[in-house]
Amino acid sequence: MTDGDLDATDPRTLPGFFDALADGKLLGGVCTDCGQVLLPPRPACYACGSRAVDVEPQSREGTVFSYTEVHTPPPAFAADAPYTVAVVELADGGRLLGRVAADYSDVAIGDSVELTVHEPTAAEREVALDYETDWPVHIFEPR
Amino acid sequence: MPEPVIASVGASALGRTDLPGRDLFSVALEEAFDELPDPADLVEAVYVGNQSESYEHQIMYGTLLAEWAGLRHVPAERVEGCAAAGALALRHAVKDVRNGEHEAVLACGVEKMTSAGTSGATDALSAAFDRAIEQRSGITAPSQYALLAKRYLHETNATEHDLAEIAVKNHANAARNPRAQFPKEIDVETVLESDPIAPPLKLYDCAPVGDGAAAVLVTTAELAADLGRPQVRVAGSGASANNIAVAERDMTDIAGARIAAETAYEEAGIDAAAVDIAEVHDAFTVCEALLAEAAGFAPAGTGYQSYQSPAERADGWTDVQLSPSGGLKARGHPIGATGLLQALEAYEQLTGAAGDRAIEGAETALLLNEGGVADAVTVGHVLTTAEAP
Repeated sequence: MTDGDLDATDPRTLPGFFDALADGKLLGGVCTDCGQVLLPPRPACYACGSRAVDVEPQSREGTVFSYTEVHTPPPAFAADAPYTVAVVELADGGRLLGRVAADYSDVAIGDSVELTVHEPTAAEREVALDYETDWPVHIFEPR
Repeated sequence: MPEPVIASVGASALGRTDLPGRDLFSVALEEAFDELPDPADLVEAVYVGNQSESYEHQIMYGTLLAEWAGLRHVPAERVEGCAAAGALALRHAVKDVRNGEHEAVLACGVEKMTSAGTSGATDALSAAFDRAIEQRSGITAPSQYALLAKRYLHETNATEHDLAEIAVKNHANAARNPRAQFPKEIDVETVLESDPIAPPLKLYDCAPVGDGAAAVLVTTAELAADLGRPQVRVAGSGASANNIAVAERDMTDIAGARIAAETAYEEAGIDAAAVDIAEVHDAFTVCEALLAEAAGFAPAGTGYQSYQSPAERADGWTDVQLSPSGGLKARGHPIGATGLLQALEAYEQLTGAAGDRAIEGAETALLLNEGGVADAVTVGHVLTTAEAP
């Protein structure tokens, strides 16, 4: 097993992934053996076990695969509720969970959305762990 | 290879209680050892299923509960896997007996969920989800399962009314279970008109927050016979971990549960059709539908018919009865204890101790216990009577 030198600049680590996301780049791992897309990237493919994982930019466009609305939020997000959350199937094949900037009643399975990124708000920084403080937050916008 | 059996079971009251976790355990232990020598004269190792240190600011439950049982210098540890912790503890005990390391192992579970109200439980449970993406998006346990439910209703003929009927069925079962947190019948309207939690799931689609402890004594068949105890064989045990993030999994084919069940069937030398009763992880109504399919009881897309009598269900369904205890929904779901409460129900059903809720002729039971959302981790056990083929 060889992975080379994983450090915090490598997008197969969370700091590396979120640094790229802060610049508007959504990076995915792509297994060179079976093609599985891994969001966020990581050193090994869960589908086939291979460690031959490339890191490639992913389309930020996708469609809603499933969605709901959170009425009973964790305390950290109480001020935001109710809010819409979805699993989105991205155009390059990966799936990612995130908030949707739309009312629940205005969303349907199959709707087109685009991933956008913002700097963490003061409230989001408040509940972040030290190492997460500057990580951007993603949200899907209807298209 | 020694054959592991369950030789005794016990539980505390379930729901909002005035006892801390260790005391709930003491109550469960007293029941389990009511007709046995003291734990110190019998138990060789202890496993404790426990979800979260946030409820009581306490880890080290292995040490703590072994001590409270009067045991010293035995191996004892907490087992963690969110709501699957209880069945993971049982699985460790089963393996210790099976491999000959111990003759008697205590598998127990405890959770003091009401210590910080509903928001405290919501926060503690959200720790089961991927921190980087899911938690930072504000996801909760009900909303995770709502994503599965929304997709299930989209892909199948199931309706919110069907999911409500599952809750109604499980409350009716709980009404005959003196251990249940909610031993009362409800109607479909009550479910459909209850508060939205995460659509399509409503309050009455969700298992309750509650305290509880359970204790299960796993021994060799010989020791259980020497002790004069009714025994239930643990004929199969399987476990599977799947992706932590729900987005990366198949959301309607619960593969981890399928593999855990199939592994347990294979070890037991049976197939799904041989199972008479099943305690599945109905933390939310949709789970019972999904797990009926994953366990091989129902053809894909028909698991939601679990509330119907066997004669009414689609072709290809087995005759299994699901959640005779009332399930997590109405029996109760004190997270770390739940997998052991499932084993307790099967023990009582298979030893003729289930009273008014006894399923006549039941000889074989499947238990499916999940942790995280759906099959992030799943544990399956097949329990049978000593006489079962």
